[in-house]
Amino acid sequence: MFATKRLGKELSKIHGSLPPGITLVTAEGFQEWLLDIRVLDENPIYLNQTYRLKFKFSQSYPIEPPEVTFVNTTDRPIPIHPHIYSNGIICLDLLGTQGWSPVQNVESICMSLQSMLTGNTKNERPEGDAHFVASNRRRPRDIDFYYHDNTV
Amino acid sequence: MQKFLIPKLYPHDPTNPLLHTNLAMALLKLSSWARVITASSASIALLPENMKAYYYLAQAQIALHETAEAVVNSRKAHALCVKEIEGGGKGGASLGVISQLVMRCLKEDWERREEVRLAGLEGTLRSVVGALERERDGKIAGLGDAGVEGEGGKEREEGIRREYEGMIADVRATFEAAGKVERRKVPDWAIDAIQFGVMLDPVVTKTGNSYERSSIMEHLKRSPTDPLTRDPLRVEDLRPNLALKAACEEFLKENGWAVDW
Repeated sequence: MFATKRLGKELSKIHGSLPPGITLVTAEGFQEWLLDIRVLDENPIYLNQTYRLKFKFSQSYPIEPPEVTFVNTTDRPIPIHPHIYSNGIICLDLLGTQGWSPVQNVESICMSLQSMLTGNTKNERPEGDAHFVASNRRRPRDIDFYYHDNTV
Repeated sequence: MQKFLIPKLYPHDPTNPLLHTNLAMALLKLSSWARVITASSASIALLPENMKAYYYLAQAQIALHETAEAVVNSRKAHALCVKEIEGGGKGGASLGVISQLVMRCLKEDWERREEVRLAGLEGTLRSVVGALERERDGKIAGLGDAGVEGEGGKEREEGIRREYEGMIADVRATFEAAGKVERRKVPDWAIDAIQFGVMLDPVVTKTGNSYERSSIMEHLKRSPTDPLTRDPLRVEDLRPNLALKAACEEFLKENGWAVDW
C-alpha cells in the first residue's frame, strides 16, 4: 500500500521528465524497475558507455531503501569503480540501511550514482573484488560495507 | 449463522466498554452497519476517550453514506491516537490505518457534497431553460396577436427562435463549465515528502521541514533521524504544524479528488 502509492507518483513524474543521462527502460508493476544511466562529462573511464540499473522495491519502500544494483547485458557493462563490485553490487551509504532516508527517490538515487561515476578517477574495482563476488550470498542491503574512503 | 452468533456475542457485563467495542468489531466484519453504530456508541458512552470505538463507528457511517458524521468520528479516532502516542502509549501501530480512514472519509464526504451540488445545478439549469422557452413562446404568440402574419411573420418568428436557441446554448455551456471540478495540480506545500500524498496532520521537525505524521512516525520507528540532515530526531521532537494543517484541510475540503491523486 505504502509503496504502491508512492511509486505510482514517482512513475508519473518520471514519465513527465527525467534529468539528462537518465532514462527509464521498464517499470512493470511496483517490484522491479530498470533504468539506464550515462555519465555526462568527458570522464575517459565511462566515455560513450551506458549502464543499466535494477531497482527492487519492498512493500515498505520508501521507509526501507530499494535494492539497487548494476546489471550486465550485452551492451551494458558493469562500470569500473572502487565502490562497485564486478557482480554489480554497489557500495554507497545512501543505499544501506543506515544511510537511507525516505526523502530519497529513484531519480535522486540515479543522480547520486551518476555523480559517483563522474567524480571517479580510479580505473579499478574494490579491494577483494574476486573474493567478494565468489563468496557473497547476502543481499546488498545486508552487507556492512565499510564507508571509510570519502575520496572517491 | 448470523442470528445464532450475535446474541452469543452480546456483553455479559453491559457496563464494560471493551465488550461493546469488541462486539462492534465483530459486527463490522459481518457488515451489520446499524448495529456497529449502536455498539460503538454504547462503548463511547461508557468510555469517552475510545479510539477503537470511534474507528469502528466511522467505518459503519461511511458504509451507510453518513459521510459528514464519519469525518467527525474518524477525526476523533485520529486525535485520540495522537494523544496516546504523545502520552507515550502504543497508539503508533494504529496511526497509519486511522490516517487512511480519515482520508477516505474526507474523500467520500467531498463526493457526496459534489453530488448534491451537481443535482442543485441541474435543477437550476432546468428552471432557467424553462423560463427562456416560455419567454420565447410568449414573444412568438405576441406576433400573431399584433397581426404580423404571412412571409414577414414567418421571418420574425425564425429570428426569435434563433435568438433564444443561442441564449439557451450559452446557458447550458456556462452551467456545464460550473459543474466540472477543476482538477488542478496538488500544490507542493500540501505534499508529504515521504508518502507523496496530501498531508492530513503535518508535523514539523527541528530543521523546519514538515511531514505527514503517520509517515514520519514510520520512518522514526526504523531510524531516529531527521530525513534530510540525519541528525538525531525523536518522536518527542515533532511539533504539529497547525497553520499548514489548516491549509491542507481547506484544500482537501474543496478538492476531495486529491486523496487519490
